[in-house]
Amino acid sequence: MVKAVRGVLVECEPAIKSILVHIDSTHHNEFIIEDLDETHLFVKETMLHLLKQKLEERLKETYRPEEPLEDSE
Amino acid sequence: MPPKRKAPPGQATASKAGRASAMSTPGPATPRSIGSSAMSDADEDFDEDVSEAQKEREALMTKEADEFVSKFTLGSKRFQGQIDDSSREVRRYDAATPFFRKRDFSHLPLKPDHQNRPLWIDPDSCTIVLERFNPLAEQATDFLITIAEPKSRPTFLHEYALTPHSLYAAVSVGLRPRDIINTLERFLKTSLPDVVRRKIEDYTRSFGKVKLVLKHNSYFVESADAEVLQTLLKDKVIGGLRIQGSGGVTTSYAPTMGGLVIPGTQNAAGVHQANLNKAERMPGDAGDPSNEADLLTALNEEDDDDDKEAVHSFQISEDNVETVQKRCLDIGYPILEEYDFRNDDVNPNLEIDLRPNTQIRPYQEKSLSKMFGNGRAKSGIIVLPCGAGKTLVGITAACTIKKGVIVLCTSSMSVVQWRQEFLKWSNINPDDIAIFTAESKNKFSGSTGIIVTTYSMVTNSRERSHDSKKMMDFLRGREWGLMLLDEVHVVPAEMFRRVISSIKSHSKLGLTATLLREDDKISHLNFLIGPKLYEANWMELSQQGHIAKVQCAEVWCPMPTEFYDEYLRASARMKRTLYAMNPRKFQACQYLINYHEARGDKIIVFSDELYSLKQYALKLKKVFIYGGTSQAERMQVLENFQHNPEVNTLFLSKIGDTSLDLPEDLPHPDLVPLRLPPPRGPSAAFSARSAATTRASTPFYSLVSKDTQEMYYSSKRQAFLVDQGYAFKVITQLANIENTPDLAFATPQETRELLQRTLVDNERGAEDDVETDDLFGKPGRGRGGGGGARKGNGVRRTAGMLSELAGGQDMAYIEQNKAVNKALRAAGGKKKAGGGGEGQSKFFKGIQREKDKSKAQARAG
Repeated sequence: MVKAVRGVLVECEPAIKSILVHIDSTHHNEFIIEDLDETHLFVKETMLHLLKQKLEERLKETYRPEEPLEDSE
Repeated sequence: MPPKRKAPPGQATASKAGRASAMSTPGPATPRSIGSSAMSDADEDFDEDVSEAQKEREALMTKEADEFVSKFTLGSKRFQGQIDDSSREVRRYDAATPFFRKRDFSHLPLKPDHQNRPLWIDPDSCTIVLERFNPLAEQATDFLITIAEPKSRPTFLHEYALTPHSLYAAVSVGLRPRDIINTLERFLKTSLPDVVRRKIEDYTRSFGKVKLVLKHNSYFVESADAEVLQTLLKDKVIGGLRIQGSGGVTTSYAPTMGGLVIPGTQNAAGVHQANLNKAERMPGDAGDPSNEADLLTALNEEDDDDDKEAVHSFQISEDNVETVQKRCLDIGYPILEEYDFRNDDVNPNLEIDLRPNTQIRPYQEKSLSKMFGNGRAKSGIIVLPCGAGKTLVGITAACTIKKGVIVLCTSSMSVVQWRQEFLKWSNINPDDIAIFTAESKNKFSGSTGIIVTTYSMVTNSRERSHDSKKMMDFLRGREWGLMLLDEVHVVPAEMFRRVISSIKSHSKLGLTATLLREDDKISHLNFLIGPKLYEANWMELSQQGHIAKVQCAEVWCPMPTEFYDEYLRASARMKRTLYAMNPRKFQACQYLINYHEARGDKIIVFSDELYSLKQYALKLKKVFIYGGTSQAERMQVLENFQHNPEVNTLFLSKIGDTSLDLPEDLPHPDLVPLRLPPPRGPSAAFSARSAATTRASTPFYSLVSKDTQEMYYSSKRQAFLVDQGYAFKVITQLANIENTPDLAFATPQETRELLQRTLVDNERGAEDDVETDDLFGKPGRGRGGGGGARKGNGVRRTAGMLSELAGGQDMAYIEQNKAVNKALRAAGGKKKAGGGGEGQSKFFKGIQREKDKSKAQARAG
C-alpha cells in the first residue's frame, strides 16, 4: 500500500542545511523526509512552520544578537 | 621652563577607596582566570595553593570593593531617574518628536554663537559629542580626556561619557568642580543642563577633599578645607589616631609645580640651556612660556590671580594609615595619596637621569604632567597603546622622582627587557639596577636602586628558596619611591592587593595599553592603584606617526559541511577548536602567508587556540612560540625571525599579548599580523595584541569561520576598532585561492582526515602532548587498532603501511611535519659540527639500504 506525504523542497546554504539536519536528528527525525544534496532538503509540509521557528531559535544562539541599542526603545 | 602656573589650589582629589580595604589584609593570589582555557599557556605561574581562611578573607574583600564600586553605579542610575522626570516637563512636542523618541533635546536652547563651540551634550546619559572639525576641538579634546571617558573616536565626531570614575580622575589631577563646569559651559553649544551640573557637583564633592601625604617620612592627612578636617578630627576613630604632639592642625601652602622639571621635555632642555648660560638662574625661571602646551593652562588662567592657597593637615602615625584610610572611606571622604618626593630626605636619592639626547614625545609629556601636576607624584594609571613608549614614560617618571624604584612586569622576559630599556634611556649605573626572578636574585650595590621583578615572584606565597626569601624580606623592609606596574590590565585584582600590601611605595604608576579587563574588575584598579591619569588617542598617535597605521581586514571562511555538522554537536571547547581548525581558514592563512612572503613581508600569526596554533605551524612548516617554549628557544626563534631572511613567518600564542615584547626594530616595515580565531573575551586581549603589532605599518587580517560564534566575537571587535577610528574591511572571497600551489586540505578526503584527527586529538581532552603526534603509542585509542594483526595466524612478515594495519588508511598518521623550531636549533648545531653529509653516518645509511632491500623482496615474494 502506498502512503503519500506532502512535502516542501527547501533550498538553503550548506551551513543552514547542517543546522536543519541537526535539529531533525534531535527531534526524532520528524521534520525531514529526504536529504537530497548539499543545498536541498525535502521537508514535511506540516512541520515546516515549526522547523522555521526552531531554526530561528538556533540562529539566535549562534549569533547572539547585539544588545538592543539604548535609544531604540 | 617649568610652568608658571600653579596647581589649582583646591587640590581636589579623589578617593582611594578600595585600597583601604585592600591594605588591611595581605591578599593571596587569585585563582587564576586564565585557567578556563584548559591550556596552560600562561607564562607566569600564579599560585593556587591558598589556604581556605585566606580565600574567605579574599572573597570578603572583593565583595567589599564590589559594593563600593556598585554604590557609584547605583547612584548614577538613581540620579538618571531624576533627570528623566525633570527634563520631561520642559519638552515640547511637534511633528518630528516621535522620530527622536527620548533623544529629543530640542528643549535645550542653542547659544547664539553655537557654531563656534564644539560640544553637544546628552543630559540623560551624560554623553558629550565633540565636533572634531571645529577650530576649538583641540582644546576641547584635551579637556574632555581629563574629565570624561572616551567612548568612540573616529575621524569627525567623538563621543565621551561623563562617569563617576572619570570625574574622580579629573578631580585627582587637580581640576575643581567649578573649573569643570565653567569650561564645559564655554565649550557647549547649549547651556549646561542643570542635571549635569548637579551630577558633576555631586560626584566631585566628596572626592579628593582629603589627601594622605607622606612628608619627611611621616603621614599627614591634608585638606584644603579646614571644615572637612575638623569633621575628621571629630570622628571618633580618626580623632583618636592623631599624633597629639604634632600640635593640632597646621597650615601650610599648597605646593606648586614650582621648579619641578620632568626630564626629557622641552622644558628640561630649556633648563639645561639656561643653566649653561646663567648658572645662578633658578631652574624654575628658565625656558620659554610658550612651550607650555598643557591643557591645565587654559583652565587655570582664572586662578592665576589668587595666590598660594592654604592647606591644613594633621599627622597620623604610620601604623594607623590603613585604619584611617578605611574610616575616611566609610564616612565619605575617600583619601588620595600623594608623594612629596622633593622634600623626602629620608630615603636616599638615586643617581638617575635621562640621557641628554632622549626627547620624550608630546603625549608622553602630557601624560607625565598629569602625574606630576602639582610637583608631587600622584598614583594612577597611564593608558598608551603598545609601541607608543609606555616603558619610556615609566623610566621618565623614575628619573623625575629619583628614589628607589620597583618595577613589576608580567614575565621574566619583560623583566630583562625593562632593565635593558632603563640602561638604554637613562644614565643609571648598571650596578644600581637589579633583577629579581627565579633565575637571578641580585641586589643593587648602593643604598638605593631599581629592582625589576615579576608579579608572581613578589606574590608567591609558597615555600621558596632561601635566596628569594631573603630578597623578599629586603623588598618588604624598605620604602620605595615609585612602583611601576606594567600591563596592569592582565593581572588579577587580588594579586595587586598582595603586591601593594606587601611592598611599601610612596607612589604607584600603572601602565597599560587598555583598560578592558576580562574579569571586569577594572573599576577596582581605580581604587587599588589610582585613577586613570591619561589615555592616548590611537588615531591621533598614528596620524602623527608615533604608532603605525593599521588597515584591518576580516576574511570570512565558510565551514565545510563536515566540520559544521560536527561543530553543531560539539561541546563549547571543541567548538572553539573546530572553528579554529576550519580547513578553509587554513587555506586562507596559507594563501595570505604565501602572498605576503612573496612580497618580502614579515608575518606574525596569532592564535588563542594552542592546538590549532601548533597544527598550523607544523603543517605550514613555520616557527612558533607558545607558553611551553623555553626561554632560550624563544630568543633563538625571535632572533631568526628578526634577521634570517628564510624565516618570515612566526606563529604566536597568547603569550604574544603581553609577556613577549616583539623586537622593535624589525627589518621589514611590512609586518603582517594574521589572527586565527578572535579572542573570546571582550576585545581586551585583542586590543593589546593588535596594538603590539602596530609597531610597523601593517595590514591586519583576522580570519573568521562563517556561521559560528566567531562571527559574534568579530562583530564586537569591529565595533571596538571603529570606535578607535579604524576602517574595517570584510573579505568574503580571496581571489584565486584555489590556484595556490600545495594548497592544504584541498580535497574532501583531506578535509575529513583533518576533522578526524582534530576530533581524536582533542577527545583526550588534552593538548598535553600533541607535539609527539604519536597516536599509536597511546593506549586505549579504541580504533580497532591492532585488529588486523590479531587476525593473522602466528607471525607473518608483510610490507605495508602501519595505518593500513590499524584499519585507518584515511587517517593521516604519517605526519612528517616537524617543528621548524627544532630545525633552527639543528641548523645551529650543525654549523658547529662542520656539517655532516645529510646528518647521517655511513653506518645508518647501510642499515637503511638493507631495510629497503628486504622490503622489496617481501613485496616480490
